[in-house]
Parts: sequence; C-alpha cells; structure tokens
Amino acid sequence: MASVPPSGDVDALRERLRALGYLDARVDRFVLGGAASRSRAASLALAASVRIGLLAGVILGPAAVIGIATRAPGLVTSVTDAMVLAAYLTVPFGLASAVLACVAILTAGWLARQTASDPEFPARARRAAIAAGLMVAAVCLAYLTLWWRAAVPPDAWAMQAVVLAVAAAISVLIGHVVTISVLAYLARLGLAGLPVGSPLSSWRAVVPAGAVALIGAMVLIRTLAPVAAPESAPPPALTVVPTGVRAVVVAIDGVDVSTLTRLRASGGLPTFDRLVSGASVGLAVSTDRDPAQVWTTLATGQPPERHGIRALEGRQLAGVEGRVGADSPGMSMLTTATDLLRLTRPTIASGEERRVPSFWEVAASAGLRTAVVHWWATWPAAGTLGTVLSDRAILRLEQGGELAAEIAPASIYPSLLASASVRMARVNEVAASAALGLSPEIAAIIERSARLDATVLDLATDSTVGSQDLLVVYLPGLDIAQHALFPAAPSDTLAPAAAAERVRALEGYYAFLDGALGRTVVTSGGPTHLTWLVTQPGRVAGGAAGTQALMAISGPGAGLDTTSEVVSAEALAPTVLRALGVPVAADLPASSVESLFADAFKTTFVVRSVSTYGERRVGSVQTTGKPLDREMIERMRSLGYVR
Amino acid sequence: MSSLPGFFGTHQPAITRAIDAFVPASTGAPVVDAMRYTLLAPSKRVRAVLVLLSAELCGSSARAMPAACAVEAIHGASLILDDLPCMDDAPLRRGRPSAHVEFGEAVAVLAAFGLLNDAYGHLARAYEPALAAKITTLYADAVGLDGLVAGQAEDVLATDTTLTFDTLERIHRRKTGVLFSAAATAGALSAGGSADDIAALTAYAKNLGLAFQIVDDLLDVTGTPEETGKAVRSDVRKTTFVSLSGVDGARELALELCRTAAGALAPFGRRAAHLSELAEFVAQRRL
Repeated sequence: MASVPPSGDVDALRERLRALGYLDARVDRFVLGGAASRSRAASLALAASVRIGLLAGVILGPAAVIGIATRAPGLVTSVTDAMVLAAYLTVPFGLASAVLACVAILTAGWLARQTASDPEFPARARRAAIAAGLMVAAVCLAYLTLWWRAAVPPDAWAMQAVVLAVAAAISVLIGHVVTISVLAYLARLGLAGLPVGSPLSSWRAVVPAGAVALIGAMVLIRTLAPVAAPESAPPPALTVVPTGVRAVVVAIDGVDVSTLTRLRASGGLPTFDRLVSGASVGLAVSTDRDPAQVWTTLATGQPPERHGIRALEGRQLAGVEGRVGADSPGMSMLTTATDLLRLTRPTIASGEERRVPSFWEVAASAGLRTAVVHWWATWPAAGTLGTVLSDRAILRLEQGGELAAEIAPASIYPSLLASASVRMARVNEVAASAALGLSPEIAAIIERSARLDATVLDLATDSTVGSQDLLVVYLPGLDIAQHALFPAAPSDTLAPAAAAERVRALEGYYAFLDGALGRTVVTSGGPTHLTWLVTQPGRVAGGAAGTQALMAISGPGAGLDTTSEVVSAEALAPTVLRALGVPVAADLPASSVESLFADAFKTTFVVRSVSTYGERRVGSVQTTGKPLDREMIERMRSLGYVR
Repeated sequence: MSSLPGFFGTHQPAITRAIDAFVPASTGAPVVDAMRYTLLAPSKRVRAVLVLLSAELCGSSARAMPAACAVEAIHGASLILDDLPCMDDAPLRRGRPSAHVEFGEAVAVLAAFGLLNDAYGHLARAYEPALAAKITTLYADAVGLDGLVAGQAEDVLATDTTLTFDTLERIHRRKTGVLFSAAATAGALSAGGSADDIAALTAYAKNLGLAFQIVDDLLDVTGTPEETGKAVRSDVRKTTFVSLSGVDGARELALELCRTAAGALAPFGRRAAHLSELAEFVAQRRL
C-alpha cells in the first residue's frame, strides 16, 4: 500500500510517528496542555489561544525589540534595555497573538463543522486547520519581515538570509500550533475520524514550509527595501578648502521678525542692525514648533524623519535607560496614563536619539575647531569632537559634582566650575538690569530669561572655550519670556494696561539681547568672523499665518541683499559648512543659500560636494557622574517646555 | 533479561493485595474463579503501577489504589477476550493456560464482563461522585469505540491483510496506548494533578504505550514462550512495526519513544525518576 513505508525505512516511520503526535512534541504539549482539561470546545480554543499568545509573546516581543531599536534610536541603549523592553512587548504581542489565534481557531473550526456529516470531513477539517495555521504564519512572517527590514542592511545578503530564516522558523512554529489547536478544537466538539497531529510535525513538511516562508520573506524584504541606503555607505573623508572665514552662529528662539524690524527702525537695536546689515533670507517655519525638533532640523540639515528627534518630551520606560518620543496626540494620552501607572516617566530629547551629525560635528570631523553652547539635544556631549557645552551644561555648573557628559572635553569643566560663582554674579547683575522698571511678576519672568541667555553668552566667550573656527550659541530666553508673558490664553483676556506692560517688557528684552550680543559674541569675533543670525518664532507663534523666521549673515564674504526668498530650515547647515570651506553633502535635502554670499566669495570659493556625511558617530566614553535627568525635567517644567 | 525496577517490589505486592480484596472471594462459582484466575495471575502490573507512580508524581498515591485495581481489571478483561478462539485464539497467557482454556469460552466471556463491571463499580464506590465520574468516563472511553473495543475489532478484522501505517498505529493506540494514557491520567486525577501535569503524563503514556506495543511485537519475533509467558510467533500473519521497520528499526523506535516519554516528564525534574525508570524498563524488557 502506498502509505506503508518500505520495510526498514525507520526515518519514514519516525516522521509518520511525529505527524501522529509521538516522539518529541513539547510545543504541542505546551499549547494544548492547559486546554486538555476543558470540557467545552470553546474554552479549549480559548485556553489554547492563551498558550499560543504566551508562546508568541515570548518570541515576538524580543523580536520586535530589534525593529524598535532601529526605528527609535536612543530607546535601546544596552542589553538590559533590550531585555526589559522585550518583557514589556511580550504583553501586547502575546495578547494580539492570542486574539488572532482564537479567531483563527474558531473560524476554521466553524468552517470545518459545516461539513461534519460529509465523508470528506476529515480531509476538509485538516485543510481548514492548515489554512488557519498558514494564515497566522503569514501574518507573523509579514510582521517580522517588516519589523526587521530596517534592522538589516539591504546589501547584507547573508545577514538577511539568517534573519529571515529565523522569521520563517518562528512563523512556521506559530502556524503549526494554530493548526494543532484547530484539530484539537474539532476533536473536542466530538467530531470523530479526525487526523491526529499536524502536518508540520514532520520534517518533510516543515522543511518545504520553512523554505517557502523564507522565499516569501526574501521577496517581501527585497520588494520593500529602501531604494537608497545612505547609512550603509561609509562617509568619505572631508577636506576643507580654507575660506579664511570664522563663523559665529547666533540662534535666537522666539523672535518675531516684524517686532524686530519695527524696533530696529526706531533705532534701538544697533547690534541686530549690524547682524542683518549683510544679506538675509526668510526661513520657512514649520507648523510644528517643538523646539528640539525644529532646532535639530536646523543643526543637521535633515528633516525630523531622518535626524530622529521628533519631540522635546519623550518617555522612558521603567527599567529602560533609553527613551522614546511622545509627539503624537494619541501617544500623549497613552503616556499620561502610563505616567500615572509609573510605567513611564518623562524625559528630554537627547543626542542619543539623533541619527545624523550636526553641522558643527561635520565641521569638527573635517578638522575645524568648533564650539557649541546650549543647543537642543546636545547632551550627552562625551565622545564628540570639538567643544560642547550641552543643553545640560548650565544645570551641571549650577549643581556641581562629577560630569555626566554635560560638557566636552571634560578637561574644561574644572575651570568653568571654578569660575561659576563669579559668572553667576556677573550674569545676575546683567539680568537684573533687563528687568528694571517692570512690575515684580513680569520682572521675575524677564530676569529669569535674561539670566539664562546671559549665562549662555558668558560661557560662549569664556576663555576656556577658546578661539574657534565655528562658534554656535543658542539663546532660548526670548522664547521662554514670551511663553511666560503670553501663555496659551489669548492676550485679549489681559487688561489693556497689563498687556501693554508685557509687550513693553518683551520689547525691552530685544534691547537686552541686543546689548548682550554686542558685548559678547558679536564683537568678540573680530573682523574675520562671518556672523549668522538665525531666528525662529518660538512656541507662542503657534504656526499662525505671517510668522516668519530669519537667516542673516554679516561680515567678510557676506552679500548685501535682503531678498524675499524663503528657504527651508534644512538650508542653514549646508550654508554654514559651505562658508567654512567644508563640502556639502549631496544627500541633504537643501543646498547652500548662495544668495547670502558676496559674488567675490562665491567665485573664489565654489561649493564643493560630497556624497554624504553618513550617520552620527559618537565615541564611547564612560562617565562617572549621575545624569541630571530628574533635574532637567524639573528645569524644563519650570520653563514651560513640558507639562 | 532486564530486571524490574526496584519500585515494582514495593508496588506489585500492594497492588496484588488490593486486587485480592477487590475481586470477589472465591465461592466455587466458575465465573468468580475465572475472574480471580485472570487477575491474580503473575503479572508485572505495569498499568496499575503507572497509576500509582503518576499519582505520586502529582502529590500522593494514597487515593490511587482503586483506580489502579480498576485498570488492572479492565486490562484483565481485555486479555480474556483477546485470547478467545474467535479473536487471537491464544492458549497461553502469563505462563498459564488462557482463561477460556481453563474455564471454557462461555465462562471466560462472562468473567471478562464481570471484571469490567467490577472495575466501574469499584470506582463508583471508592471515590466521591465527581472524581468517580471523571475516572469512570476516562476508563469507559479507553474501553469504548475509540479504545480497546475498536482496536480489537480492527485488529481481528485485519488478520491476513496488510495494514497501512496509520491503521497499525491506530490499532496499537486503541489497544494499548489509550489505556496507558487513561491509567496515567487517572493517577494524576486521584492526586489532584493540574492540566499541565496531565498533559505531560498523557504525552509520557502515549509514547510509552506505543513503545510497549512495539516491544511486544519484537518479543513475538525474538522471544520464547518461557520469557514472555505466552505463545510467540503468533503475529506472523499481521502487519507489525517489526514487519515495517525490521527488528533493529523497531527496537530503535521503541527506544526513541521511551526516551521521548521520559523527556515529557522534564517539568517534574527528579520527582519523575521512577516513571523514567519505567520507560527505560519498557525499552529493555524481555518479558
């Protein structure tokens, strides 16, 4: 008879026995073990689904970590993070798998029962069980392939094959347990004559099924692979053609261009006059005013989906060092709930999430001396080139103690710390002058902002920072003051006199900034410095029509045209780098804004290009200090950045 | 010849004493004598031992003896029927003339029915209603149309025909495996075992039952009546695992099945040592 293996064919007998549930069937036993005692078919299906969910959760949770680690840089920072995250993900994936399995079992069982009186019933039942298993396996395979797609370089065939083989094996396993569960469900319904065991109990079925799954996954991953994989290409070495230019980039948040123009016209802002005396263009303003996202876009020349920083406020899962952004409304609601449950806690965007280098990092990697002060998402500073006083540097200098990567190189920290008290006195004096003549409540707001900006400027011109080819400073004070003076409630709810005082205070802040800039970074550079003024409207503007931002340059090499041209925020980085003689990466979405430069400069120093700056590369540096995570959150909360 | 594991020395006499008390005392009636003749014949009492060991594994064997006696009674009944001239027509059983040879066919058939009824009655009397119902249902299913009766019917009708592999497995499962599984499950139930305990023990018994039957097939080919206590070469007209895979192949499969059986008990750790020994004994047995 055809089904009788030839005498002596032990391997064939062994496979047949496996298909009948003999020999090793631990997974089957695990899945059906809890269901064995159920007297009702539906509760058997439920019990088996719960076990399938457990099995799938344990497998798919860790599998998802691989994909998440790729998609959310900064979330997984260590093996411990990965393990804790996998434990978290086991729950939702387990639940989802259990529901899917239950639906598949009940549906396949219902379909098979329709033909219970048919002589062909055993064969149909078997087909229904296999179909249910295949469906779940296909979903599982597609899920794993899509998750892991981003984690495997498109040209790494061997790695892809291994990864997809694992995905195929997992999918076949999950499909198999669904199939045996359907058969068990039908058997519990009292439908006799059912075949025992799953076809996938036999290697002769598993191997072809696995091969088909593997091929399917390969097709899927190749079909969906990104066309270009810039991250896979090693960035070429950068060479600098000296332009003789030293650059100072002054970034001011919260600037209302029309107010600035009006105040300049009244003659009260000589430093700003000087800053915009060269050429200027408008900067396109994003409707999303998240400062970490906006200023990282300006710093990297890449959009948020490429640089990876989407929100200032993120969440850290309990037990995980890394963080995940919380920028969507749905995510915000979810995190509110998880915060209450103490499963998550708020965090501030950090450089660990940034995937691409900033323009000062590119310049430093090209061999230029660079310094950046207080820019968003610059912490942790350790392991980077150049001088970095990160967005946590001021906090560290206030708190003292050992560095936790707030300042780089660490060698300048003792000196900065030693001069902290003197600096504070100096800054307090300057800040107090900004609040003269204001009512106490408003004076406190203005003084707080002025103290912060004055500290940034003081640090930027500190002798330890030294002379740089590129100095970048970020001043948040105006935005903070504006946000505090004109909160989300419309200003017409204020009494006219109160509103007028606030407007006056804000205008006074422009004058304060003008003086502070004039005393520090704008004059300290000297005649060889090309100075950028970069503004953003800040959080209060809220994306209203007519809001503008500005990019202006002045100094040697700068043009003299103020145009109505509006360029994207991504244009700042290539423009600064081009001015310094650094090649501009071809994979940046914007090019250098040539209209800002004088013709002679453009003729002498043509724009050079390079394929890419590659991914952000940070050296591994151990720090001994305790990160100021909690203090940073409190500071951001007090300044109105996070709730 | 492989020797019985040590724990048989403890359990066998206890089972025999319990059976002696359970089976009706001799009244001179041939049916009662036939029942006692069958049940008290020298035997390894593997199924009853399996009940006790499973119960031990799940906590305690203190309440398992009625289930052990019942399974032996059911097994004894099946042997009487199996040996009848209309079935296997076996003259020897457990080293003695078969029941129908000793007492005549009519008495033997009635003794088989008597044993079955006593088994169910004993369970109903020994346990509280819920547990009694569970174990009785379990044993009834093992005897019924997906158990011994169906297996024996198919086996008898298959004589002189070549069986498919699926049919052969089904006959073995129904004639041996199902009662092994029922014995293990009954032991677990009597000790309050969990669903996972029962699943592991069922997997153990399923593999062990088939291994037991394959070894039986092997002994029919390689053994002697002195060793096995029954007539040998009686299966020459039947398809067996030996005819499918040869003597060495069948031995290899039996060994693998026994290893798998022992492996199924891994969740119990060292507590399952006795059942693992039993699996090893089945794989090596010569009697």
